[in-house]
Amino acid sequence: MSTLAPTPGPARTRVTVHPVTFRRLLASEWVKLRSLRSTWWALAVAVVAGAALGPLQTMSVAGVIPDDVVRPDGMGAAYALAGAPLALLTFCTFGVLGVAGEYGTGQIRSTLVAAPTRLPALLAKLVVTVAAVLVASTVMVAVAVAATLPVLGRAGMTLDLTRPEDARIVLGMPLFLAAASALGFTFGALTRSTAAGITVVLGLVLVVENGLGAIPWAPLQELVVYLPANAGARLVTSDALGSVLSNVPSTLPPWTGFGVMLAWVAGLLAVACVLLRRRDA
Amino acid sequence: MIEVRDLTKRYGSATVVDGMSFTVRPGVVTGFLGPNGAGKSTTMRMLVGLDRPTAGTATVGGRRYVEHRAPLGEVGALLDAKAVHGGRSARDHLLALAATHGIGRRRVEDVLELTGLRSVARRRAGTFSLGMGQRLGLAAALLGDPPVLVLDEPVNGLDPDGVLWIRHLLRALAAEGRTVLLSSHLMTEMALTADHLVVVGRGRVLADAPVQDVVASTQPTAVRVRTPDAALLEALLLRRPGTRVTSLAADLLEVDGCPAPEIAAAAAAGGVVLHGLAPVESSLEDAYLRLTADEVEYRSAAGTAPARSRRTAGGHR
Repeated sequence: MSTLAPTPGPARTRVTVHPVTFRRLLASEWVKLRSLRSTWWALAVAVVAGAALGPLQTMSVAGVIPDDVVRPDGMGAAYALAGAPLALLTFCTFGVLGVAGEYGTGQIRSTLVAAPTRLPALLAKLVVTVAAVLVASTVMVAVAVAATLPVLGRAGMTLDLTRPEDARIVLGMPLFLAAASALGFTFGALTRSTAAGITVVLGLVLVVENGLGAIPWAPLQELVVYLPANAGARLVTSDALGSVLSNVPSTLPPWTGFGVMLAWVAGLLAVACVLLRRRDA
Repeated sequence: MIEVRDLTKRYGSATVVDGMSFTVRPGVVTGFLGPNGAGKSTTMRMLVGLDRPTAGTATVGGRRYVEHRAPLGEVGALLDAKAVHGGRSARDHLLALAATHGIGRRRVEDVLELTGLRSVARRRAGTFSLGMGQRLGLAAALLGDPPVLVLDEPVNGLDPDGVLWIRHLLRALAAEGRTVLLSSHLMTEMALTADHLVVVGRGRVLADAPVQDVVASTQPTAVRVRTPDAALLEALLLRRPGTRVTSLAADLLEVDGCPAPEIAAAAAAGGVVLHGLAPVESSLEDAYLRLTADEVEYRSAAGTAPARSRRTAGGHR
């Protein structure tokens, strides 16, 4: 054979190949996530936009609200996290991109050839995506609170994590945003298209849920509170002020509401899993 | 070892793979040959579990692909050069795949080196040419050092150097005892690379044999004879039953149905001088076109695709 004949790898090095495990799939998904520039852009935008609005909005009302108006508990927390809708939008999109981006590029075929049982790969991707959002949204909340605290006093508001409501709103926000990204993820997995997934999840969360809530028909009002973001937003809603995330009046207890949102995610994920098993990739 | 048994894939009413059965053995390069739409890519996709068969089975090493606990260590597949996120670097793409099987960074560097991608390993795959994409796909296929390789049109988009390189690589891999199945529509490439052929058309296996046999089986054994006494020789040969003679020129005959030694013997007995005696070599391309032309005729009679379109070579889907 000519000198062009290559020495195939195996002749030179021993290749150790291990069985595919969930742990290894997590490691793989983490490599995939961190190696895309879009990951860092999306998370940075969410953190910056989500954190910046709190201090700005608080400053804008400082001196505007008369001193004798009562500031209820939770008001400071709600103002500090005024950027939540922007973060919600970005993290939902991020969730969609995590899975639908693989279909758009063809990467999914490499992914499924490496993990032909499919479901573990999808779940590993979900875990990594949600974990990244959990970390980023925690950073966002921390920055928002830290940046808002100095100006809260000027608006006559306080934020005290020892108060149950304040703690629920501040600590619940990363959970809510992580669940929202998981919701986006399931729509990405269901539609297998970035454009369709983003349209569906943002249309639902930003338009449909609030839009239906605006229709004054009692039976509908009973139902819209159970839509995923309306329900989940209960966790980060000030009892006195309501929420910038959802304008639907709801009496669901906060954690029940969040549970309803997680149930939506679980249900949609189950459908996505069934479809992933059945559809040709 | 790849075993395909009664494999069928239907999309709605369209039958893309229609009861295919064949076996791909280790130690040789097996070419998977057929016109566009013959079901090659779909068969390969079913082999690695991307498509679900409507009926039948495809197994590698005795098991369905999905049943292997470390599939990348069993089968390396290059199905298309674009099975990669364009925003990720070549190295990161391979690192992510390697991580699923606990394959070390060292091996990733090895396959980058082997496929000539080391210098562009940091570049985003979206900026790659088709040829570089093929190399990256091949690097991914080799990652787990698998005993079985399934490659769909691997020479697509490669420059002549690349084609030569991949030909040597595949032959070397087969020589190590690996099972190599590659599809191509490039006949000359197949003739040079493959030892064994599985020829398919319209989702069915038309031929499954060594390359030489495929060539020989579809070709009537003809011999060309150059002689100044053409008329005499023709008369001598026509006495033999089953022999047909065509006069190609004043001193050139083409003889069907009579092997060269017998022609020579007949000429010697009759005192005819021979200037040349050569069996007509038919190319793989001839054989292939003849095989698939039959298929086309059969289909045309049934009122489907016109013959011309079946001969068009090109990419897949």
